[in-house]
Amino acid sequence: MLPKDMLSLKDFSLEALQEILQRAAFFKKKDGDVFSSLKGKNIAISFWEPSTRTRISFELAVQKLGGRIINFTPEMSSEKKGENVDDTIKTLQSIGADALVFRHSSPGIFNRVSELVEIPFISGGEGCYQHPTQALLDIFTLIESGVKLSGRQVVMVGDILHSRVARSHFYTFPVFGASLTLVAPPVLLPPELVPPGVNWSYNLEEVLPSGDVVYLLRVQKERQEKGLIPSLGEYAALYGLNEKRVSLLKEDACLMHPGPVNIGIEISSSVIKVFENFYPDRILFQDQVRNGVFVRMAVLDLLLAGRMI
Amino acid sequence: MDLLLKGGILHDPVNGWEGPAEILIKGDRIEAVSLSLGPVEVPVLDLKGKIILPGLVDIHVHLREPGEEGKETIATGCAAAVAGGFTAVACMPNTNPPVDSKEIVSYIKERARQVNLARVYPLGTLTRRLKGQEIAPMWEMAQEGVRGFSDDGRPVMNSGLMLRAMQFALVLGLPVISHCEDLSLSGDGVVHAGVHGYRLGLPVIPAVSEAVMVAREILLQQKVGGKLHLAHISARESVALLRWARESGINLTSEVTPHHLLLTEEAVDYFNTSAKMNPPLRTSADRDALLEALQEGLIEIIATDHAPHRLQEKEADFLSAPFGVTGLETAFPLLWTKIVEQGILSLSELVKCLSTAPANLLGVPGGNLAPGLPADLVVIEPHKEYAVNADKFYSRGQNTPFKDWRLKGFPVLTMVGGDIKMWEGKVKGFNQDFPELKGLFIKQGSK
Repeated sequence: MLPKDMLSLKDFSLEALQEILQRAAFFKKKDGDVFSSLKGKNIAISFWEPSTRTRISFELAVQKLGGRIINFTPEMSSEKKGENVDDTIKTLQSIGADALVFRHSSPGIFNRVSELVEIPFISGGEGCYQHPTQALLDIFTLIESGVKLSGRQVVMVGDILHSRVARSHFYTFPVFGASLTLVAPPVLLPPELVPPGVNWSYNLEEVLPSGDVVYLLRVQKERQEKGLIPSLGEYAALYGLNEKRVSLLKEDACLMHPGPVNIGIEISSSVIKVFENFYPDRILFQDQVRNGVFVRMAVLDLLLAGRMI
Repeated sequence: MDLLLKGGILHDPVNGWEGPAEILIKGDRIEAVSLSLGPVEVPVLDLKGKIILPGLVDIHVHLREPGEEGKETIATGCAAAVAGGFTAVACMPNTNPPVDSKEIVSYIKERARQVNLARVYPLGTLTRRLKGQEIAPMWEMAQEGVRGFSDDGRPVMNSGLMLRAMQFALVLGLPVISHCEDLSLSGDGVVHAGVHGYRLGLPVIPAVSEAVMVAREILLQQKVGGKLHLAHISARESVALLRWARESGINLTSEVTPHHLLLTEEAVDYFNTSAKMNPPLRTSADRDALLEALQEGLIEIIATDHAPHRLQEKEADFLSAPFGVTGLETAFPLLWTKIVEQGILSLSELVKCLSTAPANLLGVPGGNLAPGLPADLVVIEPHKEYAVNADKFYSRGQNTPFKDWRLKGFPVLTMVGGDIKMWEGKVKGFNQDFPELKGLFIKQGSK
């Protein structure tokens, strides 16, 4: 039995996660077929933080399963006007939503507000805390591309401190048997953040040769504006995947990124081109986006169908 | 009224008393303390099995009035104080408007006089409007009776200004109480920069943001030499600096809260806003350092940092919930059960931390039950165990991280100036059934 909500993957056993992944594989294999497991169901999608791919991918997932979408996107200023998450959530349930997909910038908010309603609550990203469907689609993409996770090394590079994707993967990569190494400048990688059993380094070149998967995280312009790093250029000089560093990669190393990519910061445009032209199977950025739809279909299908039984 | 307290065990460390005692109270003063006073013609209160202590003094309380009466008032705060065994509190000036003029000082004193429960000693701000830009009219407030100065909650980031404010306080003979936090290091943080806070994805307040300011204050104090007091020390780095200050002969005092002595950052899992306070709960190593500092006498005062908030404010998201926990009604039972009964401090040592030392810092009577002094005392029931029930608090703030903790050592009687303000949990003026006191007493000789 799956939990009612998907707030953090820690609430899901390995078996439950595998069930979701198998369901996602089924949907991908049968892509084009008409599904109706959400027929007559209303899925409320409410993103209180800018997003394109996650929101669109949830919307498409609902449509592919035959469900209806209630789209509630607060004006970016209305939160300040007193638009209230608690009221919105209760309203959406009353209006007839059968599940809620939510994104919000405040870590911990879903723990609290998911209690306010009985219907399934699915996180579409919660502050710097968790982004469960992103972590799931990453695992799906790796398994699909033939990378056995067990015993493999994942090197994660970038703004670990502010990354909800990283925090979700602190659970998923180890539970699927992969080891994780985190790389970032000290200000974005406090040692206290590193979970037991996870390695870390301030030196990308030192750990790059060990990576079967190199997972790049977005470094936002805001970090430069807030003075956490001297500039994005200086970050790129030390931690960007450029032509010089590519030579350190394992022959079969795969590249991943949750998007959107800051080209020239996390990874140089020439490296992207080289991979796209010569090693398309080893740069998984677009596969991740594509698979997001199937993984979210699986999550919706199982969380809602599981409750019908 | 005149009264004889009989049968209790008195712990009065200043006068070296630790054992059975009879205490005779005349008017608002202690008349005599003795093993046996012989026959006296006054009503007698039998305190068999109970412990008598000098009234507790809390130098770090937010009474919220004026301006934030939804969180607390001088009346509810003082009721909470006497319910918790505190006979005197010093109230922090970060009200709205802040206590930065003689008018607000006199308003608070007048309200406290009307409420007539605990003694209230107002503190004034260090800077006007708590803005950290100009020194507040310290002399004027001193004339009106403030017992110290603090910009609590808003550290004075400008070191030059802090130095000059300390120099002025030196002339007035009053303490400066510093909330040590370098805002450029703590930023928008809400939890300790430790395993739990980082994993929850919350912005952090590192220990070093406290320690660099502790270091600054110690160095300023070395130059000034007045009365400096450091509020709510939470980090082991700060303890190390306090040790250095002591070894260097720099005089200052400091305080620690019950929550920093008893809890760690774990209490914020998962997003528990009742454990959100500033400074934040830190690691077990920090807590151990605080306990050790307390045992060594390096930190000599325990203060609650009683910071009541409305329930709905605390039930918000972790980022937006306000900082602070209530403390007045849980402090003594917590410290009795978890510190004294665990053998970390003796009861007399605890009395010094909770009564004598804070009274001395403020330069007010208290912490001492010698004949001739005000009859401010508290009676403790040491054996009976109760669960902490925030619904029953007199404070408007129910924000406690100690809900449902089973504790002993709840106060059963609080006397301020010879007047019983709290009896078995009931507060004078707050409970209709506050007992007709005559009925409690037995006349001497009648059995």
